[in-house]
Amino acid sequence: MPGSRAHLWFIAPALILIVLILLLPIALAGAMSFTNYALGNPSFDWVGFENYERIFTRATYERMFGASFRYVAVVVPFSVALGLGAALLIHSLGRFGALYKTIYFLPVMAALIAMAIVWEFALHPTVGIVNRILESFCGTPLELWPWHAYGCAEGFPLWLSDRDYAIWTVAFIGIWQGFGFNMVLYLAGLTSIPRELYHAAEMDGATSGWERFRLVTWPLLGPTTVFVVTITIIRSFQVFDTVEAFYPQGGGPGKSVYVMLFAIYEKAIQQNLMGIGAAITVVFLFFVMLVTLAQRWLIERRTHYV
Amino acid sequence: MASIALSHISKSFGDTQVLRDVSLSILDGEFVTLVGPSGCGKSTLLRILAGLEAADSGHVALDGRDVTAVRPAHRNLAMVFQSYALYPHLTVAQNLATPLKLRDLGRTGRLPVVGPLLARTGYGAIGEQVRVIAGILQIGHLLDRKPGQLSGGQRQRVALGRAMVRQPVAFLMDEPLSNLDAALRVHMRSELSELHRRLGATFVYVTHDQAEALTMSDRMAVMMGGNILQFGSPAEVFADPRSLAVAEFIGSPKINTLPGEISTDGRVSYLGVVLNRRVGQGRVGPVTVGLRPEHLSLRSTPADATLSGRLTFKENLGSDVFLHAVIADGQHRLILRTDPARAAALALGDTIHVEGQRSAALIFDAEGQRLPMTTGAGQQAEVA
Repeated sequence: MPGSRAHLWFIAPALILIVLILLLPIALAGAMSFTNYALGNPSFDWVGFENYERIFTRATYERMFGASFRYVAVVVPFSVALGLGAALLIHSLGRFGALYKTIYFLPVMAALIAMAIVWEFALHPTVGIVNRILESFCGTPLELWPWHAYGCAEGFPLWLSDRDYAIWTVAFIGIWQGFGFNMVLYLAGLTSIPRELYHAAEMDGATSGWERFRLVTWPLLGPTTVFVVTITIIRSFQVFDTVEAFYPQGGGPGKSVYVMLFAIYEKAIQQNLMGIGAAITVVFLFFVMLVTLAQRWLIERRTHYV
Repeated sequence: MASIALSHISKSFGDTQVLRDVSLSILDGEFVTLVGPSGCGKSTLLRILAGLEAADSGHVALDGRDVTAVRPAHRNLAMVFQSYALYPHLTVAQNLATPLKLRDLGRTGRLPVVGPLLARTGYGAIGEQVRVIAGILQIGHLLDRKPGQLSGGQRQRVALGRAMVRQPVAFLMDEPLSNLDAALRVHMRSELSELHRRLGATFVYVTHDQAEALTMSDRMAVMMGGNILQFGSPAEVFADPRSLAVAEFIGSPKINTLPGEISTDGRVSYLGVVLNRRVGQGRVGPVTVGLRPEHLSLRSTPADATLSGRLTFKENLGSDVFLHAVIADGQHRLILRTDPARAAALALGDTIHVEGQRSAALIFDAEGQRLPMTTGAGQQAEVA
């Protein structure tokens, strides 16, 4: 109706909530990133791009980006591939599918802080089960593997406290923890593929499982894959609890596990440097937004079939 | 092109037996329809023929070769699915080319990026075949589109094209027209018949629509409860149904059924009307008399051999009008066909008098089996 203001009343509640709980905090973080504000200080100074300059020049933050990108680069492909593999296997099972589903999903449901303690024990350099098993194979043909032979002679890695291994070990735990979630998403995607397409593929001459996978399963899982990859990238950028559990101080040996969220926590909460914390947050949000935009583009351009 | 022989096929899903010792032999180049109500096992039979489902017992033979243990891809049959089952991520051209690629190209030729470069001649031949098929089906202008951008009728054509493109020995169709609107369905019927004549291939067509079965098939198999009740030409099945179930399923509107009685001399009577023909001696007892709406006509005055009833509904189809009447004090309903001019003269509630065509009544025994009849001695016009 022309002149009526009714539409404002309809959209106002949603609009107010979005502004209050989403846009305003982001804007505040953005504003804060240009200051040297610290909690409890009566005033603050505008420092311009100084915080950002630090982020992109100082070695600490170089390590931060290195750790975050290494973590993402390992966790995303492995947990997506394992999630898909597990989903395909479970989907082909008749009987024990539900049991396996539960088993693989357990790490997702378990509190990672609690699981971190278990991993810390397992990966302990001397009494941990991992290194004990590795040691017990010393003197067997497994020593033909140079890495293992070196471990037998010089001692096995310290894993979590080893500068060269720490980030990969944390990434391994991230994969272990996360792929069950991807599996559940892929299982949902698999059930939505019409069975008739597999029959059509069979009639058309796709005799091997690999051909059916390439012709039907993989393309029809396209939208699921885009979603799974996006979610996994964002979740990997957000990794925090394992790092906090293993390295409450400092972000691991030589800051090799100093991931972005831990950096935000350390700067803004532990050291009360709100300005630099906010700046890292803005950079973090920028990455997440890039990923999300890429996802939107892919969904609309490439995998939207109908 | 191939003849098909299904022998003693049985199939159960859990406790439900879907097919009970079904045998069917289809000649080379024949258009055979499997028709029946839903759940009668017709689709399962087709899928067993395709190899997508394994029979519990029985054999499938193509051209005399036992293919029971041969996987679907190697039977060289093509199937058109009810949902069309087109690959949604591929264009029409790629959909049409898929069966050719999977069959004619080697492993290297099917590689994602380098394949087209390595097997250039193979791809050229495939492109040519796709264009020929697209020309026949008049979908040449759709080749670059994806299935999601096509209408139901266009998808139907693409599905047909994908079946035709590799020249299979037989075409299997599982209710291919049921997702189309009514007008297009009627149009596609004639187009499919035309295609069958042109290709000369064996067609096995599954439908629940008796009109599709009657219009297209050379022979039709009427299935119910996991059995083939009757297998014959449409004319034969319509005019000479072997059981009440077949007579009721084939023909629209449904055949009228009235309770009757066989007297000791073999004469059949129902609602006071006595038929001229007789059934064999010694079959005394209650029977069901079937009268097709097409075989009934209106009479202006009652006579010995007419049934009288009250008109309750006029179903106008334009060219024909079906009159629904209640006869015998409201216990039985009767439908008859008449022309619009005569129907216009009648009003609902009028009493109408109905007479049957000579020798058209079908008699079924208590088990629903058809009883053969012999012409009686008298030559006066037989009445319904």
